Parts: sequence; structure tokens; C-alpha cells
Amino acid sequence: MSYFQQKEPPKREDRLGACIVYGGTLRELADKTRACRCLSDGSRGFSQGSICLLLPGIAILNSIPDNVNLVHGAIGCGACSHSQNANSRTGSGMRTGTVKDAVWLSTALNETDVISGAENKLYNSILEADRLYRPKTITVIASCVPGIIGDDVDGVVERAQSRVSARIIPVHCEGFKTKIWATAYDAVYHGVARTIFDDPDLTEPLVKDDLYFQRLENKKAHTVNLFGVSSMGLADERELTRYLNALEQRTVNPFPCFAEPDSIYKLKYAGLSVCVCPTHDDYLLEHLKEEYGVPYVLRHMPIGIENTSDWIRDIAGILDKRDIAERLISRETAELNAALEKYRPLFKGKRVFISAGEFRALATANLLRDLGFDVAGIRSFHHDEFANVEYEKLLKNVGDDVIINIANVQPFEEANLLASLKPDLFLGHWNGNFTATKLGIPSHVIYNTGLAYVGYRGVFEIARRLYRQLINPAFNKNMSKHVSLPYKKDWYGKNPFTYIKSGLEASEGYDGEEGTQ
Amino acid sequence: MSDYIERPRCFCSLGGALSTLEALPETIPVMHCAVGCAGSIAWAQNGGCALQVGGHCGGLTVPSSNVGEKDVVFGGTDRLTEQMKNTLEIMDGRLYVIITGCVTEIIGDDIRAVAAEFSSKADIVAANTGGFKGNSYLGYDIVLTAIINQYVKKSAEKKKRSVNILGIVPYMDVFWRGNLKGVRRILEKIGLCVNTFFTDEDSLDGLKNSSEAELNIVLSDIYGIDTAKAYEEVHGIPYITATLPVGPTAVADLLKAVSKALNLETDVDAVIAAENEKFYRCLELFADAYNDADLQRYAVIIADVNYAVAITRFLLDDLGWIPVMTQFTDVLDDEQRERIIDKLKSPPPLNGPRVVFDTNASEAIRYINELYPKQESDKYAETLSPAMVIGSSLDRATALKMGVPHLSVSFPVSNRAILNRGYIGFEGGLTLIEDLLSAAVAAR
Repeated sequence: MSYFQQKEPPKREDRLGACIVYGGTLRELADKTRACRCLSDGSRGFSQGSICLLLPGIAILNSIPDNVNLVHGAIGCGACSHSQNANSRTGSGMRTGTVKDAVWLSTALNETDVISGAENKLYNSILEADRLYRPKTITVIASCVPGIIGDDVDGVVERAQSRVSARIIPVHCEGFKTKIWATAYDAVYHGVARTIFDDPDLTEPLVKDDLYFQRLENKKAHTVNLFGVSSMGLADERELTRYLNALEQRTVNPFPCFAEPDSIYKLKYAGLSVCVCPTHDDYLLEHLKEEYGVPYVLRHMPIGIENTSDWIRDIAGILDKRDIAERLISRETAELNAALEKYRPLFKGKRVFISAGEFRALATANLLRDLGFDVAGIRSFHHDEFANVEYEKLLKNVGDDVIINIANVQPFEEANLLASLKPDLFLGHWNGNFTATKLGIPSHVIYNTGLAYVGYRGVFEIARRLYRQLINPAFNKNMSKHVSLPYKKDWYGKNPFTYIKSGLEASEGYDGEEGTQ
Repeated sequence: MSDYIERPRCFCSLGGALSTLEALPETIPVMHCAVGCAGSIAWAQNGGCALQVGGHCGGLTVPSSNVGEKDVVFGGTDRLTEQMKNTLEIMDGRLYVIITGCVTEIIGDDIRAVAAEFSSKADIVAANTGGFKGNSYLGYDIVLTAIINQYVKKSAEKKKRSVNILGIVPYMDVFWRGNLKGVRRILEKIGLCVNTFFTDEDSLDGLKNSSEAELNIVLSDIYGIDTAKAYEEVHGIPYITATLPVGPTAVADLLKAVSKALNLETDVDAVIAAENEKFYRCLELFADAYNDADLQRYAVIIADVNYAVAITRFLLDDLGWIPVMTQFTDVLDDEQRERIIDKLKSPPPLNGPRVVFDTNASEAIRYINELYPKQESDKYAETLSPAMVIGSSLDRATALKMGVPHLSVSFPVSNRAILNRGYIGFEGGLTLIEDLLSAAVAAR
């Protein structure tokens, strides 16, 4: 049975054997994953707070135009929207010319709701939201509380659907159920594919003659879906669109962020789906392929010169546009390499430490190696099989002994590593640069939708920004002289992976093979 | 009122407790909750607290048990015990405070028992803050009450003229440090020793010894009152409440009330007169431009209790603007509402603003339209112009619809960077005038 026939998607621990606990060298990791395809999912005896799938889930849904994002949970679930709203505002402003705040609502479950259930509250909220905002879609995103008290969210949605004009999309993001927040992408895709994938009424032609099919085929040959999740902002989207246009793809459907809900069904009529980050999208790409015959490319992330070229080549291969691709690649790389000359001398031999989502971290490491940095260590937020291709490149580029730490952030391990490795530069995720900052290491955010990262232009922009950080790191240096991290002094002398408990088995639901699809 | 809350302008009680602890010196919060709670709160601070995130042990540094499905089935106390043991090994603090999220609260983990296990090794407090209990203002009260009961020194001898300040909730009030320093400055002028807990000039000892205070001053009509009651019950400290003292009138009222409560012999009137003199000597430089540019404004205020009351009163009493509508975005009960409505009255013909209690701030424009019904003549219509919207950064949309300037003061404040600024006191009043008039003349 297809996953999409079930109410909720499986968690990634079960579907992919994804894990969040590892510490060791690159070589050890590669050997382990080769032997058993996945790491056993250990745990930590000490842990720090992190994010759950609710946050990236909300981030995507808050960007959808004309959507009301109804968070079904306690009043604080959804508070992350206050920072994500910056992306919704600038994103809508740049795309439509009108700056709009995201519309998110909360059912704000209280003690009474916890005892007596909150299905009626959810039902009424859907009806009221539909009346007041008249949205195209209402996404009902469920957090921990309804999951524990047993609210039948799908039942309520079904009951309410006939009473409202918006289409309702249930999205399950109960944070205690999975530690792999990448499950969020599956959860959003699951909800979307189950509810708003149908063609609008009256679009079917009366006669499906040869001409109709010819037109359809022709259109498909020039239409591509660009899966970006929150991996990129508009600058990156435009850069990749430029390449796709060069490969004679006239229509590029960016999805899911800022995707017009009434047009999402069109994903089915593309000739190809491509993705920015291979970690994100396999769940829906596979569904589009199986159900609607849309093939996909999922292998490289277009961060770095080589990766970008490979990304373009893979796509061109399927589209049979290899010659165009090679011309594009040689022209772009020549221009880029000339522009990078200014920065390379300063970068040469500087040691860099990288922390981010797995694929982005690895691809960025390869890019920085290419720019002349030495890679001192890498931290990935989780590990799954999609990244193995990138580890192979790393083994070739940076050698066996680079420290790899897989952790759902866990800054205490990072602090220990940074204190002993003393890198010259640190790249970390949103809310993940403070450790390096307080240690006085020049730092730069590895992901921010307002900045450019991908493609050839991304390489240049990253180089420019790193150059700027390196020539005046006074903010971090000064701060480190006067503030300290909250760890005891003797922690820094210990093995950074002291609190990793090994010997645990992989998730019980995972049998080493992807589940029945 | 709707069944939902639009864009809640707060975190949950866990978030409020965590933010409060993050603002305390030498304190390590220990979260007993699902994996994403810390991140959700950190992201909310990142976007809503004028760029301020974390603290000494905040953001994603906070120890958290990250309970999962297994713990929901079998209970999470074993995980918490392990986490607590290792937290004491690795995290450097003087006070450790266990706080719970929804999941562990619903499954009923006994966190007091876990705290007791380690009580010989460190000062440990446990507080039940599960997010469904309420909003972040409540979380402030819950966690401080737990600290008062479990950590603050018992049966301390009272220190003359020593007071604690309550009701300014760190992060929810993005100006909390500046405001607390402001209130300290002004109360020191009448010879008090002022304990503010959360500023860079405070230490944890201030909190530990807060039972020595003679009086608690709650600078809010709603928040912090439960904490004051706990002090009264456990440590025998009486309390008074006052509006957030922004500007000359509110500060004078506060000084008089405090002086009366403490039976001070200081000549408070003389202090007030001297401070007023300085305030207006500074302000007199605006006497020309304020009038030349006709900078008096109608005002729409959309804010939490502390700011809605304080800003409205400041505009009525000190700056001489015309507040036409004040919307409270907190959830308040009938008794609280009545108490607050009384605070915003003004004798005719000025009158007070229309007071609205609605958590859904996008409705503001509807309430305003009700005040200005369509008129027969366009030419001689009474309109809401010139005006300004003072609220959160989310109220920019309302200001845009009205075509008027806007200033963010109440959570969320996403479009300002605040570290040390405050609106409390005489100096704070000047700062607020600077900010209001800067917004009014931004296009000049």
C-alpha cells in the first residue's frame, strides 16, 4: 500500500533508518555505512534542546500564499513563526510586490482541552478562519498535545470540509514522535498530495484527441518542477531557474515554498522534477513518479562549482541537452573562476569547521575545499543514505581523518570540538553560530533565505561574504574576551563524544530496506 | 471572541519560564520536554525579541531531556534522572531549574522527586510549566513562584528600604533590561535598595536574598502578581502594583505610592520636582519643532497589558496626544478587564480611548472603522488623521492600511534592535518621545 493512502507518513527513522548520533572520523563513518547501509540510532546520555519537525513544517506552510496556517496545539507551538515571518514578508514582497505577514492561528489548547479533547475547538476554528480570512487553503498542523490526547484531526478535517470554501490540509507534526525533523517535509508533502493534487473542475477537455496529447507532451518537454523546500530563497531560485531556462525549460514550477495552492496540481504535468537538496524531497518525488510518471533527479546539491556542474549535467542528461549544458558549464565556470582569484590567497590553508543539515554541510565542505580552505571538521544534523554520494566525494577531497559529528545540533559537543580543533572559520546554521562566536572564531551563517548560496553565483557570494568575515572578525573576537559558554572547564579536556551511547539498535520499524511503496 | 488566537503574541508557559531563567545570571534551565520546544522558543525570540536570543545558557544550549514516544509510554523520569546527573557534570551554574513541557506534564512525570535526588549536589528547583497551562506571562509567574518556594532564603531578616521589582517579563518585554535599570535609577533617588534580578548589574545572590525585601513592587496590572502573592505567603513581604512607570506622571505616582507603602521620610515631592525640571529642560528644545510641524497625533495602541496601559497613559498625561483606540491582545478575564478599563479613563472632553479586548489584532481596523462611520460630507468629515499606530511589528499592516507611521514597542518587535533601551522613568519617557517623534518625521 502506498504511504499516501495512510493518514500519516512514516517517520524517517523507520522509512530510511535515519539517525542523529555519531562521532568519529570520516573513514570510520564511510566504512560503517557501507557495511550496514545505516548507522544504528544511538542516543545521548546528555542532550540539549533542538528543533522538531513542527518548525520546518510551519516554515513551509507559512510561505504559501492565501493559506491560513492553523496550528493545533499549545499556545507556544507556532511561536517559531515570529522569525519565519521575516521570510514570508520578504519572500512575498519580492515575488508579488506586496509585503504580507504570514497568517498563522493557534487553537491554544489549555488544561480543559487536554482533559476533554479539543476536536470541537479545532472544528470551530476552521469554520471561523474560513469565514474571516476566506483563504484558498487552511493547513491544520498538529503538534504534540493533540497527538497525546488522541484528537482525531483527520476526522475533524473531514467533517469541516463540506462546511467551508477553503480546502483543508491536515499535516501531522507531533514533535515527540520523531527526532528526525526532516520528517517534516514528508508530512507537508503527504498532506498536500492527499488534498490539493486533483485537477480543478472543468479543466478536462471534452475531447482528448491526438492534438491534445501532442500539446501535453510538448508542454511536458519544457516544464520542470524545482523542489526547494526551505533550502533556498529567491536569489537561489532565480539562479537555478536561469540554468533550467538555458536547458530550454520554459516553465519552472518552484515548490513548495511560496507555491500558489491552486497551481500545485500542475506538478503532475511536468516532464521532470529536480531538487535542490537530496535529503528533502524523495518522499514526494517518488510518489510523482509512481503515480503520475514524472521522473526525477536526486543526487547532487548545487552548492559548489563541481556540484553545480554535476547537477546541471544530470538534468541535461535526462532532457537530452548535454551539449547546451557543457557550453553553459564551461562559460560559467571560466567566468566564476576568474572572479574568485581575488579571494583565494586569503582562504588558502585556513581551517574551517562546518555545521548544518547533512547534505548542505557536506556540499559546503567540498566547496570550501575547492576555495582553498582545509576542512577541520563537519557536523551534520542527521544522517541518511542520500548523503553517501557526498561522503565519497569528501573522502577523495579531504581525506580520511576529518572529524564527523552527527547531532541534532547539540552545541556542547561542538564547543568541545571547536576548543580543541581551533579552526580559523566556522559556518553554522540559523541559531547555531553563537558557540563559535563566543569562542572568538569568525563565523558565517550557512543558510539564510535572504542570501545566495547555490549555483555558480552562490559560490561567488559565499566567497565574498567569507572574505568580509575574515578581514574583520572583531565582533566575535571581542565578545570572546568577555563572555564564556556555560560549560564546566573540565568538559573541554574530555572526549567530545563521551555522552554518546552506542550499541543501540536501529529503529524497530526499520528493516534495512525502504518500506513497501 | 474566536476559538483560535491569531498570531499569538507570546510563547507558552514553558517558553515564558525558559526565557525568565535565561535572563537570570548563573542559572541553568533544564527542560523536560520534547525535542523541539527549545528551538521553537529560540526561533520565536530570534524573530520577536528585537534580535535578542538566549543569554548565558539559552537558545539551543539549554539542557533538554528530548523525550520521545518510548518515554510517553513508559514515563520520562528515568531519562530526566540521567539528564540531570549529566547536566551537573557538564553545565556550569549555581542554580538548576527543571521545567516541563506539554508531553511530560500530560504523562505526569514526578519532577520534584527527580530534583530531590540531586538536592545534596546542587541547588535544584522544579517547576511544572507544561505549555498548555497558558502563555509566557504565566510561565514567568510559575517559575518564579517555584524559585521563591524552593530556593529563596527562608526567614530572612528584613533589610530596611530594600525592594524587589516584579511584573517586567524578560523577552516578552523586549526592553526589559533598560526598563529594569530605569526603575532602579528612579527608586534609588528616593534612597531605596532595588533588586531587579535580570539586568547585567544583578547577580544570583540578589534573587537568593530577595526575601530580605521590605516591599515588592509589581510594575504591571496583571503580570507578576502571583509571584508577589507567593512572596507574601512564604516570606511575608507585602506588595503594591503600579502601571509600568513611563514618563513624569506615572513615575510621580509610583514614587508617591512606594513612599507611602514604606513610610519613607524622604521628601519625595522634592525628588519629583527636581526630576521634572531636568525632564522639561531637555524637552524644551522640541518646543519649536513640535508645534511647527504639528506633531500632535491621534493614536491607535495595540499591545499587551503593560504597554497598552503605560503608552496610553503617557500619551494622555505627558505628551498630550489623543489615543482613540487601545486594543489589548492578551487573554483577560472580566475582573481584569474592568480593572484595566478604569485605568484608561480621562475626563471629558478628552475622554479615554475606546478600549477593546481582542486577541486578533487584524480586527483593529474594523474597530477603528466603527469609530469613524461613513459621513455625509467627505469635505468636512471627522477623520483619524494625523495618526500613528503604536503596537507590535505585526501592526505595521494596520498602519499601512491607515497610511500612518508606526512604532513597535510590544512583542513581537521584529523590526528593531534592542539591548539597553528602556522607556521607564523620566529618562525613559524622553526616549519614548524620541522614538515616537522620529517615526513621525521619518520621511522629512
